[in-house]
Amino acid sequence: MDAVSAPNALETNDLEVRFGKQVVLQGFSVSLKPGEKALLTGPSGCGKSTVLRCFLGFVIPDAGSVCLDGVELTAATVWHLRGRVAYVGQEPDLGTGTAAQAIERPFYYRSNTGLRHNLDRVPELFERFNLSRDLLPKDVGSLSGGEKQRIALVSAILLDRRIFLLDEVTSALDRVSKQAVAGYFRSREDVTALIVAHDLEMFSFIPRVVEVPCQPRREAPHE
Amino acid sequence: MNEIVDIGLWQLAAAYLLLVFPFGIILWYRVPMMGETVVALVRMTVQLLLVGLYLQVLFQLNILWLNALWLLVMVAVADVSIVRSCNLRLMRIALPVFLALAAGTAVPLTLFTGLILRRPNVLDAQYAIPIGGMILGNCLRADIVGIRTFYELIRSTEKAFLQSLAEGASLPEATRPYARKASQAALAPTVATMATIGLVSLPGMMTGVILGGAGPVTAIKYQIAIMISIFSGTAITVALGIRLTTKSSFTPYGLLDPTVFRNQSKK
Repeated sequence: MDAVSAPNALETNDLEVRFGKQVVLQGFSVSLKPGEKALLTGPSGCGKSTVLRCFLGFVIPDAGSVCLDGVELTAATVWHLRGRVAYVGQEPDLGTGTAAQAIERPFYYRSNTGLRHNLDRVPELFERFNLSRDLLPKDVGSLSGGEKQRIALVSAILLDRRIFLLDEVTSALDRVSKQAVAGYFRSREDVTALIVAHDLEMFSFIPRVVEVPCQPRREAPHE
Repeated sequence: MNEIVDIGLWQLAAAYLLLVFPFGIILWYRVPMMGETVVALVRMTVQLLLVGLYLQVLFQLNILWLNALWLLVMVAVADVSIVRSCNLRLMRIALPVFLALAAGTAVPLTLFTGLILRRPNVLDAQYAIPIGGMILGNCLRADIVGIRTFYELIRSTEKAFLQSLAEGASLPEATRPYARKASQAALAPTVATMATIGLVSLPGMMTGVILGGAGPVTAIKYQIAIMISIFSGTAITVALGIRLTTKSSFTPYGLLDPTVFRNQSKK
């Protein structure tokens, strides 16, 4: 199936999300073709992270729909669809144990056991993202924010997903590391990526910028 | 061995003289717990008198279904106590916790009375009620620690939990590390007790058997059997309690349902 006839890799239609009585997203729609990349921007607190979390089934929209690869995300499909997405949060929690254990952990899940050979790529990816291999035996609690971000990114890349949801993954990185991350995604034409970033200059190779409109501070109507 | 000496009502009343010491300390240091101490003492006395009267009848009748019913009432009371102590909503997890408690009590109790004591009736009141009560009491303590640890850990490290779901974990896979830590926390006291039993204090059952007129060797055999039963029961009830409550505490998307907590946080 070519990119033109293929279903959208990511798609939301008229998304509405409320937290309590506060409307966070209303009528938000976005779609990305396979291989397409887009930056998600907007003022802090306008719901950019919420959009990403909707694609993972971590936030359930009050109205509208969320689709991945043309399949609507529901309670029945979410478990299968999560296996197509790699997600890296702004302040990733790598759990407990060493960095090496954090990277290996996802490969103990049944859905990823066939990907275990990807762990051979750890040295290559560590080098690419300016990470010292001396970090591998270190406890994740002793890592800096930037090291955690890059290790979470390495872990996500090893899972061989074709869709990436990145939430300010370069916020704690120096310029060289930011360029390394941006360069990686520039080189991956096969990957669809929706990237929340404030540093638009770093991702200047991505022409598409999607603005998440900030909802006025008002309460949802009573039902 | 001699039969146990009964305690007359006047002699029992004399036991209350010992309260002079705690009350004296409470008054001397003005410890603000006089009211609750008096209430607790009255409650203890009334509750035990009523239970004693009921058990007297229960032991005399020794009817299988009545013994089973009494054990079920004990399980139900423990069930409510666990759910409230874990800060969870009664209606949501009362049934799974009840089933976990019932299994954690019934399995070792049946083996104790049927296989070890070889009683023709596994629900014989003389054995089933006290042994069942000891196992249940420990199951209650273990469930409070285990279930509370499980849910509080997931709530406090939600980001790591969600990350595991994002990485492709199924719900059992995502909850397994939390179940492991919760089981460890719940079983650790019993393991520590087993390691020091007899050295630090004479255990309750052993004391009871000796007071009942049996020799120390018989008492030790009872104590070993009850310790293993308790350990087995706590392991069963904690594992089942976590497993069964998971079904009603997580959304179909694998998220911990905040409404399962009594003081729920916002979405």
